[in-house]
Amino acid sequence: MNKKYKILILGATTVIIFILFLKVLNTDKVYQPNQMVNKKIPEIILEDFNNKNIKIDQHIFSQKDFVLINIWASWCVPCLIEHPFLMSLKNKNKIDIIGINYKDETTNAQNFLKKYGNPYSRIGVDKKGEVTIQLGAYGVPETYVLKKGLIIFKHIGPINEDIVNKILELKK
Amino acid sequence: MLFGYIGNLALFLSLIFNVFLIFSSIKIIKNNSLVNLKKINFLNNSVFYLLLISFLILIYCFTTSDFSNVAVYKNSHTEKPLIYKISGAWGNHEGSMVLFILILSFFSFIFFRSKVSEQLRFYTIFFQAILISIFLIFLIFTSNPFDQIDPKPLQGLGLNPILQDPLLAIHPPFLYFGYVGFSLVFSFTLAGLVTNSFDKSWSQYANFWIILPWSLLTIGIGLGSFWAYYELGWGGYWFWDPVENASLMPWLSATALIHSNIVTLKKDKLHSWTALLAIFTFIMSLLGTFLVRSGILNSVHAFANDPYRGVYILSMILLITFFSLAIFIIKNPKKALNQEHFFLQKDNFILINNYFLIFFLSVVLVGTVYPIILDAVSGRSISVGPVYYHTILAPFLFIFLFFMSHGPLLSWNKQDKFLQLKNIKIFLPISVVTLLIIIFWFFDQKDITLILGLLFSIYLIISVIFDLISQKALKLNFGRLTSHLGFGILIFSIFVNAYLSKEINTSMKVGDEIKIDEFTIKFSSINKNKKDNYEEVFGNFLVSNKDEKVELSPSIRKYNQPAQITSEVSIKSNLIADYYFAINLSEFEKDKIMVRFYFKPLMFWIWFSIILIALGGFYQSLRFKNEQKI
Repeated sequence: MNKKYKILILGATTVIIFILFLKVLNTDKVYQPNQMVNKKIPEIILEDFNNKNIKIDQHIFSQKDFVLINIWASWCVPCLIEHPFLMSLKNKNKIDIIGINYKDETTNAQNFLKKYGNPYSRIGVDKKGEVTIQLGAYGVPETYVLKKGLIIFKHIGPINEDIVNKILELKK
Repeated sequence: MLFGYIGNLALFLSLIFNVFLIFSSIKIIKNNSLVNLKKINFLNNSVFYLLLISFLILIYCFTTSDFSNVAVYKNSHTEKPLIYKISGAWGNHEGSMVLFILILSFFSFIFFRSKVSEQLRFYTIFFQAILISIFLIFLIFTSNPFDQIDPKPLQGLGLNPILQDPLLAIHPPFLYFGYVGFSLVFSFTLAGLVTNSFDKSWSQYANFWIILPWSLLTIGIGLGSFWAYYELGWGGYWFWDPVENASLMPWLSATALIHSNIVTLKKDKLHSWTALLAIFTFIMSLLGTFLVRSGILNSVHAFANDPYRGVYILSMILLITFFSLAIFIIKNPKKALNQEHFFLQKDNFILINNYFLIFFLSVVLVGTVYPIILDAVSGRSISVGPVYYHTILAPFLFIFLFFMSHGPLLSWNKQDKFLQLKNIKIFLPISVVTLLIIIFWFFDQKDITLILGLLFSIYLIISVIFDLISQKALKLNFGRLTSHLGFGILIFSIFVNAYLSKEINTSMKVGDEIKIDEFTIKFSSINKNKKDNYEEVFGNFLVSNKDEKVELSPSIRKYNQPAQITSEVSIKSNLIADYYFAINLSEFEKDKIMVRFYFKPLMFWIWFSIILIALGGFYQSLRFKNEQKI
């Protein structure tokens, strides 16, 4: 075969491989924010924030009719921004919020809650950030809305008034 | 802060020097004035020293916890032990890329001091400089390790606790020396092609540069596997995880390369094949880097999840692939002379096993990449697990082992059917008898795959021992014998381990005694121990089977600051098997403890054989180095 043709074929193959992998990069499921939506919550195990000997697993989410999961950390500045919204969701709208404390120091987290209030009915600790990966989260803060264990909505970043309204609508 | 600037400056300067090196080289090529390489040498050295400086500064930033540096802030913490502060420097995307480039440049640096002809040296450094530039641009513009934050945070976010392990401090450098080491052979191949000097003497020099990184990669893979076994506590050492596969692929390709290069050296043939394998080996290393670094895979290794970086890595790898293969096509090395050819000849057997290695490589490549692409293109996900690899690889592995047993005993130039027949007549009965003894005395497994696996690995071991005894040139063959013996032991141990491992998961309370299969587990007592920063609860267990009694004391640690519960496994290891025990708190049954017990035969021999394989490689590379008087 002529060398020119060989190089042409090589070039074409390279381009095809490039396009294929480009598609892979763009449809990357692992970091795709919505991948968990409309799925059941995966099996997870967390330590309880108040008592290290108690483990929390996915059942506490699936038993409830409507619950929010909020991933937060005391070192995360955007978490502070969304904090008032979480407090009002709890106090005004009586929504059950379970927190996942992400890669945090326990004392810092406790001080954070003392200072700004605790919107969570229960908190699970994810020191290594492994559970958060299992949940397909992008980072902190991140909020999931669950109906009977099914993830129906997910928001990346701090929640705002629009998201609060959306959550209230979902509850109906 | 100041150091960060100096580090950054060193990086920029190294890029500038490097680009300068490339342009000077092009000028030399154009003017055909390859007389004085002093300037090239100076630039080549400077690039290395500058990169070394910036790497040392990065380590300095990590050890002094300079949180104005983003990489330090994200991956370190003041209260981390010093060793993890240091290893944290390469335990993240940016730092590991600096190490990657530093090693690229290190190989250039030492290669310039070799005794290779001036022309080949010049071109090799030229191609190596192009590689360095491509990666430096990526580093500086998409993942700069010296990015600053202002104001400076007071505390860092810490290193992923999974990565805080002394083994992991040395595992990436070994892997990188292996992966990146293949870049030199790659550049050396391109240099050989471009200058039309891809011949016996090329092979002679290439030997060292192939086997050294191969040995380092062997150790790197072994360390990764060792760590997974002892630290992750998954009760296994190899999971066919894409990241593990990524390191196995260049290893397989390089193994084929080592052997085909010997044929090129001894018989002055297979030039094209050797050149292609050399290029391919480095491309496999790059593919590994891409898979691990682009964020396509979600694992402890995937630091970067920036799609922009992924596109850049993909583009540069494909560019390197395209241009290197295009050079290969245009400058296809000379064809072999017509030589007398027999089937029972050493080079023939080497070639056959080369094809097998490439087949193994293809199986791993398809198993790793195909699910990712299928998922992206069609949205369907398939699961490719151990079953896929084991069923496809096993039958061919047997034939591979057979050829591997006889290949080294063949002659390069003549065939002696009678001698080989005699060899088979010796090896086969001994292997079968050994196998029968093992099966009847030690276990009653009748699985055909297990029996064949054991038979052929014993066959290989016997052939190596036979070879060793009748060896006339031990010094010459010592490396090969060691590696091959190691490989035989490795396959034997893997088969025994795969078929005879036991796993028991249950919950127990103190005083319980359970019997599962041939094991009796007794939970004899609990004792507590208070240390400064943690409280530890030990469970004392007595495990016994028909010939052994082992006491194991796994524990649960409750740390106060930071509050964390860890499970410490207890492993008793002997030459025959590992007894591996871990406990966890149970949420459902308050008075019981969750118990996990593994029986893992021949683990010691798996690690030992990997060391043998690598040692053979190191011995061989030293020998080649002395031969060349580099």
